[in-house]
Amino acid sequence: MTAGVQRPTDPAALRRRATAAVARSAAGERAVAIVLGLVLLVGGTLVALLSYGVFGAGRASRPLLDPMIVAALQAQPLVARFAAIACGLLLTVLGIVWAAHALRPENHPDLVLGPLAAAGDTSVVVSAHAAAEAVAAQAGELPGVGRARARLVGTEAAPAMRVTLWLTDDANVRDVLARLHSEVLTTARASLELTELPVAVRLELDHPHPRPRVA
Amino acid sequence: MRVLLRVLVPLLGLAVALVGALVVLEVVALSVRPDDGDGLVVPWPQWYAALERTAWTDAPVPGIAIGTAVFGLLLLLVGLFARRPDIAVDAPAPDITVTTSARVLARLVGRRVRAADDVAAASVTASRRRVTVAAEAWNDADPGLADRVRARVEGLLDEVPLRRRPRVTVTVQERRGPR
Repeated sequence: MTAGVQRPTDPAALRRRATAAVARSAAGERAVAIVLGLVLLVGGTLVALLSYGVFGAGRASRPLLDPMIVAALQAQPLVARFAAIACGLLLTVLGIVWAAHALRPENHPDLVLGPLAAAGDTSVVVSAHAAAEAVAAQAGELPGVGRARARLVGTEAAPAMRVTLWLTDDANVRDVLARLHSEVLTTARASLELTELPVAVRLELDHPHPRPRVA
Repeated sequence: MRVLLRVLVPLLGLAVALVGALVVLEVVALSVRPDDGDGLVVPWPQWYAALERTAWTDAPVPGIAIGTAVFGLLLLLVGLFARRPDIAVDAPAPDITVTTSARVLARLVGRRVRAADDVAAASVTASRRRVTVAAEAWNDADPGLADRVRARVEGLLDEVPLRRRPRVTVTVQERRGPR
């Protein structure tokens, strides 16, 4: 799907994309931490209970590597070995996927402009950096905004903009947001040929005058 | 919390991958050369013998189990509480999300409160639900100061379109010492 022939999306989806653009998602990492934490918590608790004889004194006094289990494994050495290899491979792949997922940099999609892309072998690509810089420069000009930074995030099919505004002392928040919406973002959507561009705005405060170190 | 999560999860992933790789390596090594008495990388035959000797009731087992459970609980809490403590601001359009932080709100309130001459000093804490102002009055202050400070904070909250209006708590202390 190219940028020029986007279908209109329902407002709820746009809102979701705008909310997702607030910050890089940590949902995957949180899921890993919660699952691993639960496994360790439940396992540790069960072993401690077993060790204190809650499941019976006879069971608690058996060795950790129970001869019964060893005998069962030795009865089927090939199955046991393949099971061990499969578990090892699973752990390796899972661990590498978690680590790679957590370490990968955030995606900044470039935008392909519509009509030329549809015409054939010529296409105009606006880099994510250029598009974001244009929005940031315009937003920084608004009255009440000291400086601004923008990032294009999301995917090529569903890009979103993350804008951070550092407000000055005399800023009127309502006014700044209204002008950002009506002037900057409307221009950006028009010039990038996007019918929709969800935006997440982050408000910070500017430090206009650095304090003297010695008063 | 989020920083801790960002550091912990890759490390945990690598640790899990390392354990998996060692298991595969040792099992394959055992299959290739079954007569070799020792492990390739880790001395697992010694561990094996130690595990056969140790009973569930023996000294280190419950301690290690409790330690593991506590680590699991901490990891669970880190995962549960690594949310962004953002404060939502009303946006002019449905496809715009506006957020700010409690620190910014506290600085806005503090600036407004300290701008007036009748307040000697003020400390502000803010969260999504509550703004607490501890103002310090000059020693000739009148009793209406708390209400005036509250009115100023409410005036600021009228200007900033927060999605959820926090409750305002103002306490006034008299400043000790001369002006």
